[in-house]
Amino acid sequence: MTGTGARISGGRMWPWLALAVGAALAVPPAQDRVQERMQARAPDPDILYFASPDAIKKMALGYEGLLADIYWMRAIQYYGRREEAERRPVRYKNLAAMLDITSTLDPDMLDVYRAGSIFLAEPDPVGAGQPEQAVALLDKGIARHPAEWRLRLDKGFIYFWFLKDYRHAGQAWLDGSRLAAAPPWMAGLAAMALSRGGEIETAKMLWRQQLEQSERADIRENARNHLASTEVAETLWTLEFFIEKYKEKAGRPPRQLEDLVRAGFLRRVPVDPSGVPYDYEPASGYVGLAPETKVRYLKVPEEYRASFRRKLEELYGSASGRG
Amino acid sequence: MNIAVVARNTFRENIRDRVLYNLILFALVMTVSSIALGQLTLGYERKVIVDLGLSAISIFGTLIAIFIGIGLVHKELERRTVYALLSKPVRRHEFILGKYLGLLATLSVNVAVMTVGLWLSMLYQGGIEPAGYARILPAVYLIFLSLALTTALALVFSTFSTPALSALFTLFLWIAGHFNYDLLEFAATSRTAAMRRFFQALYYLVPNFSNFTSIDSRNVIQSAAYAQPVDWTAVGWTTVYGLVYSGALLALAVAVFSRRDFK
Repeated sequence: MTGTGARISGGRMWPWLALAVGAALAVPPAQDRVQERMQARAPDPDILYFASPDAIKKMALGYEGLLADIYWMRAIQYYGRREEAERRPVRYKNLAAMLDITSTLDPDMLDVYRAGSIFLAEPDPVGAGQPEQAVALLDKGIARHPAEWRLRLDKGFIYFWFLKDYRHAGQAWLDGSRLAAAPPWMAGLAAMALSRGGEIETAKMLWRQQLEQSERADIRENARNHLASTEVAETLWTLEFFIEKYKEKAGRPPRQLEDLVRAGFLRRVPVDPSGVPYDYEPASGYVGLAPETKVRYLKVPEEYRASFRRKLEELYGSASGRG
Repeated sequence: MNIAVVARNTFRENIRDRVLYNLILFALVMTVSSIALGQLTLGYERKVIVDLGLSAISIFGTLIAIFIGIGLVHKELERRTVYALLSKPVRRHEFILGKYLGLLATLSVNVAVMTVGLWLSMLYQGGIEPAGYARILPAVYLIFLSLALTTALALVFSTFSTPALSALFTLFLWIAGHFNYDLLEFAATSRTAAMRRFFQALYYLVPNFSNFTSIDSRNVIQSAAYAQPVDWTAVGWTTVYGLVYSGALLALAVAVFSRRDFK
């Protein structure tokens, strides 16, 4: 046709364009309907498509570094997005697998072992509540970086705080203290853990180390919460101790905490680390954090209560001394 | 002389085909990720920038090597420009080598510009030692070597097959080449001597692309991101491997192309 000089002119474009826009507008609602059906049928939305770290490493085709970064970001999002975690049947079911994959893809990312072990070990709802998996992750890191003392510090820490296995904690710190780059206080830490009774002091020292030395804001925040919680626990145990002492002396519980000051047990009524006074119910003897407190209380091991009480008894056990 | 002329024309043609448009995409990827990654990676921004930048150089480069490489000869045949060229005093091996070098020139400009782009991203991130900037160069070099091999592979297929099939073959061999060490494992676990020899032969036959991605059992991109020391001997042997294998492929391409009759 063109050869004869005739021209094929274009037709009208607008009806087709309108149809394209109309169809495009129908796409989002259609997609939403499909997604609704998918969600209604899906038994568990928390799926890890590839679970074998070695298989993923092979399939990375040389882009392991990039894939490790993606898995690390995914692990952080998986752990950090609280609302998303609340919707899962098990909050952090796949966290250990994600960290295992990340550390296989890139064994040199120290944060994967260090921060990852804390994410794993913290009990539900803060973490996955899997301290054994945290130790396994740190062991993987130690095998790769045998000269890295901080991994042994973390391993001892998981044993000490989450597993209450002071012997293994002390051993991990002792091993760490023998490394060339280890700081001098690590041997002291090992000694403290291996001797009985010094648990809470060791714990406070460890959380303080994390607070001062970690470069990660989330880890520092966690350490701050634990230090505040330890302070709260110690104060509550002290208050309970003196309430009992008051009862022994006066034959009835104090009507308010100020009575303990008046009776000479305390110098002043304590407040929690956020400055809010503690709640006290004379009838039940309950003493605890007030609802308006800003402290994010993380459970302090019950075992520490006994040794702390022993210390109080040694100091004030015989008579109504000053607190 | 003729090789240089063909190479120059191939390079110009690639530029005319807007191959360098991918640089804009690369720039976009790097700029957006430099800004966004700070909030996502919590402490690993610099490593992620290097990982992302070097991976992008490799991925974009491989795509160009395959999709331009497969058309190098076929396009000339389709357009019948090959007749004009070969009727002039251009010999067939000069034509093939010129085509190859022309695409390598395009790739080297791409890789060079993307490397500068990566440096700029690293500069934007800040906090990187001067040695850190230099440390990405061995990785870039190895990526370029692997691109040279991919191009040679695509060129061989281009001499006797259609672009679609050539792309398929090249991509297949590129993927298989990352699993080469598994062939050695198969050989070791084979029950019969014939199977063992078969897998061993296959191990040497399939181009080993994992040579260019890991040196001394460390991934080259990752060790660049951590600024770890370079094993220069291993880099040297990888260079030899790349040159020898690419040379063999080019000779094969010339051989196939020399046998072809043009109607």
